Amino acid sequence: MTRFYWVLAAVAVVGMIVVGYGLSGGGSAATEPVDLAGVEEDMGALISLAQGITLGDENAPLTIAEFGDYQCPGCREFSLGVKPQLDFAFVQKGLVKFVFYDFPLISIHAHAFLAARASRCALDQGKYWEYHEALFTNQSRWAGMSEVVGTFVGYAGEVGMDEDEFGTCLRSDKYADVVTANMRLAMELGLTGTPTVMVSQGQGMARRVQRYDFPSIQAVVEEMLAQGGN
Amino acid sequence: MTADLRPPANRMAIALLSLAGAFVAFYLFAHALGWTGPIVCGVGDCATVQASSYAKVGPIPVAAIGLAGYMFLLGMALLGLQPAYAASRVVSGALVAASSVALAFSAYLTYLEAAVIHAWCQWCVVSAILVVLIFLFSLPEVGRLRQSPARGHP
Repeated sequence: MTRFYWVLAAVAVVGMIVVGYGLSGGGSAATEPVDLAGVEEDMGALISLAQGITLGDENAPLTIAEFGDYQCPGCREFSLGVKPQLDFAFVQKGLVKFVFYDFPLISIHAHAFLAARASRCALDQGKYWEYHEALFTNQSRWAGMSEVVGTFVGYAGEVGMDEDEFGTCLRSDKYADVVTANMRLAMELGLTGTPTVMVSQGQGMARRVQRYDFPSIQAVVEEMLAQGGN
Repeated sequence: MTADLRPPANRMAIALLSLAGAFVAFYLFAHALGWTGPIVCGVGDCATVQASSYAKVGPIPVAAIGLAGYMFLLGMALLGLQPAYAASRVVSGALVAASSVALAFSAYLTYLEAAVIHAWCQWCVVSAILVVLIFLFSLPEVGRLRQSPARGHP
């Protein structure tokens, strides 16, 4: 009987060690939303935390905002097909700034949250847009994988980043709060799918573009520019 | 004929397995409460499972239900190891009932992972295995229940 209690104590010690390791974080990559400790209750604080990534002139009269998911095929189509046209037609001319917000649809896309965090890690090394494009270009390769951390680190190397620094960022929970805040913001705006494209002027109301093809967005942008966006 | 006073080995096994299960459930419960960093998940896709709507029953995390169940089984098994409760029908009945409910609940959760969520969580699989073993070790209690109640025991 005494031996039983010794075994029971041994199981307890092993259990405490394993759980203690888990509670300390375990060094694995954050792949899901985190608790924002009430930030989501305050819209101003949520917007402040959920910073989109801007391409183009910060002072451009119009803003095109995309809420996107790196594992969404439609977002890939938009990013590789439509965004370059918007960039050439409006962003490079200083008429529009493009802002990307993360909206990982975690219920259907297992790696979307991690991909969004990865893109934020790329921002640390000034390679956000290069990495953004790399994720979408290679989407069909990594989307079906069961484990993508190593693959994402590999893409970082391909676009010229320090893989060790990138890997350290990715294998932590860095930016999990920022990506979570992006998601919460999209939900607060009532968005349900990706890509969602909106055009706004200054601090005015954003106008949602129902279709995400270039002519549809071009029509809205030109109309808003004609109405006084310079 | 004298009564067998040796502590029932199956109850020792249930106690050990329940303690291990309690740690698994506690870890998932701690994660559900936000006490942990990223969930440690070497095999499978724990994040998808834990983020699914099936990770809670109403406002209660499934892990909390599991923790309560394991603690109950642990308590009953340890109680059943005390000489005074060695022939207790209450202990036998509680072990059979709790392990049966745990088995059914665990089977339902495993079905959800396989057919609905389409993702596996290594901790849930470990818990399911522990529950199956606990159920198997509880089967001798059915025989004890069928025996006539010992005098002096409930």
